[in-house]
Amino acid sequence: MPDVNCPVNQTLLALQETIESGRLSNPRSRRIAEEIRDLLMDVAGGRAGKDHLGAIASLNEELAYDQASPGAMAAAKAVRDALGGHREVFQSHIDTHNCAAGDCVRLVPAPCQMACPAGIDVPTYVNLIGQGHDAEAVEVIRRDNPFPWVCGLVCTRPCEFMCVRGRVDKPISIKFLKAFAAERALSDRHYRNPARGPAKGRRIAVVGAGPGGMTAAYYLALKGYGVTVFEALPVAGGMMMLGIPRYRLPREVIDREVAMLEDLGVEFRFNTRYGSDITLKGLNSSGFEAVFLAIGAHQSFKLNIPGEDDFPQVIEAIDLLRRVALGDRRIPGKHAIIVGGGNVAIDAARTCLRLGTEEVTLAYRRTRAEMPADMEEVEQAVDEGIHMSFLTIPKAIRGDSGRPGRLTGLECIRAKLIRKDDSDRLFPVPVEGSDFVIEADTVVSAIGQRIDLDCLRDLKGLKWSRRQTIQANAVSMETPVPGVFAGGDAVTGPATVVEAIGAGKRAAGAIDRYLSGIPQPKMPPVPVRRSRVEWMEVPAGTKMTLRRPEMPLLNLERRRTTFQQVELGYTENVAREEARRCLRCDICLRCGKCVEVCRDMMGVDALQFGFLNFDQPGPTDFRVTADRCILCGACAANCPNDAIRIIDRGDERLLSYCGTILNRQKLERCQECGAVLGPQRYLEFLQRRTQGVSPVVVDRKLCHACARRHTARVHTENSPV
Amino acid sequence: MTFHRGQKVEIFRISEDESWGEHMNQYVGLHGIITDPDTTKNDPDALIEVSVEGKGTHRFPQDCLRLLR
Repeated sequence: MPDVNCPVNQTLLALQETIESGRLSNPRSRRIAEEIRDLLMDVAGGRAGKDHLGAIASLNEELAYDQASPGAMAAAKAVRDALGGHREVFQSHIDTHNCAAGDCVRLVPAPCQMACPAGIDVPTYVNLIGQGHDAEAVEVIRRDNPFPWVCGLVCTRPCEFMCVRGRVDKPISIKFLKAFAAERALSDRHYRNPARGPAKGRRIAVVGAGPGGMTAAYYLALKGYGVTVFEALPVAGGMMMLGIPRYRLPREVIDREVAMLEDLGVEFRFNTRYGSDITLKGLNSSGFEAVFLAIGAHQSFKLNIPGEDDFPQVIEAIDLLRRVALGDRRIPGKHAIIVGGGNVAIDAARTCLRLGTEEVTLAYRRTRAEMPADMEEVEQAVDEGIHMSFLTIPKAIRGDSGRPGRLTGLECIRAKLIRKDDSDRLFPVPVEGSDFVIEADTVVSAIGQRIDLDCLRDLKGLKWSRRQTIQANAVSMETPVPGVFAGGDAVTGPATVVEAIGAGKRAAGAIDRYLSGIPQPKMPPVPVRRSRVEWMEVPAGTKMTLRRPEMPLLNLERRRTTFQQVELGYTENVAREEARRCLRCDICLRCGKCVEVCRDMMGVDALQFGFLNFDQPGPTDFRVTADRCILCGACAANCPNDAIRIIDRGDERLLSYCGTILNRQKLERCQECGAVLGPQRYLEFLQRRTQGVSPVVVDRKLCHACARRHTARVHTENSPV
Repeated sequence: MTFHRGQKVEIFRISEDESWGEHMNQYVGLHGIITDPDTTKNDPDALIEVSVEGKGTHRFPQDCLRLLR
């Protein structure tokens, strides 16, 4: 993401300036320059094809041939230098539809897309959903993420935190729209794989069938590589399958999307553990030319309290979730205590409840305000009847002295939060003499996961971070071992599904470069604009009054007793309406020129766009515009990206901001020839501005041509030549 | 400081943590939103996910982040 200017944009501006300056005196040269300019505009606008650069070079040689015109020769030299010095940037604009410098405004990704670790083109698919094109929306998503349905149910949705609509009221419900489209497309049998590239005859091994590993496998298979995924467990999905309970992510969802990978030719080998069943040496000798390690972080941290190892009823949350995911439905105990405050703790608690545990208590050493788990998940857990015991530090496991091995409770000590001198972080410290016991027959530890280092011990040369994760280049995912790449939780530590997907996609690109002998990138990739779909027309009042819909939930009784999906999904009407709230930040770059021109140049101040400011957003109301706007078009004329437009339709003039109709007024017409004059408010504005000039025609609405004709006639009659 | 999802932060300095890459120097001075704090342990040493305005979503050590009030 360099902060230099874009050579495509610079070349385009320079050529445009040359054309407008009149320095191209030869009409033929001028025509050729205009053709080059049009082709450059295609490149800058994401509409160019593979022949564009060749055509520009060829036309440029013709331009250079005009040796009589110094202007033509200078323009041709400038284009030739730009193409020669920055050809890869031009090519990148064509291939990726992206301008890394952000100068080619049509190719700048929206904040939601920039925020997505997988780089999904959010505005495009949201608007496709709004228009009813669910299968096309899924196709757009799968260009960056092969698991739209999974992510539609469990993504941590960084996109929604950056959503500009959130500065107006609430962010677009991007995650749930994705789930809606994926479910629809699958149901309609329109969820299809893209065409696979020609087979390269080269093999790649992926270790781990989690989101990161399977994403790498998907994109490598699309490129034509033969991919085999080795998985220690008997099922695919990794943490998606084993760490996320079925009431949040049904198994069928994972199975259907994994089946798409198998359909693409990806081979899965289950019950095959790296380190014992396969090794790097063995993979290399079997013809695998590169290995991607995506083994996840499946081991739990221990509580490190007395009695932890003495009772079989002390279990690790991740083991409990794995056991249940694989079909075990035995009740862990009648009264379970879950130790921890993160998402895994909440998942374990809600799972115990569904298995039939009568009382579930979550013990956390800080308060609810410090709980790292998602607030929505916490609220749902409380609704379902999970008890919360805050400021609770586990001290020891208590057992029945008369019956060895039988757990009777968790000895705890009350905590208070204090601020230490060198930090503004609140630390829990025990309150002396506040010991108490919570009775229980099961204790579940959910205080974090780490990766299994042992299985990789044989991999000489691999380096480890001080956090005990694999050290890999964050951009290229390369490890110090040639041909071995790593990504996902094994590199970042426990993270999110969508981050693992992003890492898998980056790894696929890096492995392709490695096998093709191309140098690795030095910077992380910039998300790619996939398209610029037409916006949907929405009246300003509707845009402001549409509210983010609540997700309908399964009734509480079912939630407490079954593993049925809790979030029931949007209905079609709700999903289409929700998509209409999108502000189209892929088109409006929030530069604020429209607001400045309207307020400072025209003195009208009709645009109340408080969302333009990231740090301190002000109030936004699209409805205000209709009260003040004179439909002069100054905002539209100054918008660099056609986000704001003046449209004459029938007898009306409309002001559209990315499809939101901010103002519409009746058009006045010339009383003689019928030509459009503009709305009454605009004519009055002009009249006020020209008050000092004596009116040419009184009480008549005439266009310039008719007014001139009328004035000429008056002059001829009054003062004959 | 315990970070929470949705909080606005500034990347105010280069971190000396081993996870800091050279390409991250360009993020210093930029603002962003916490999108995934350490969701398990509330660990001051954990890398937390921040969506930086205009620059994408990345994991940062916490010593280079400060809350925007």
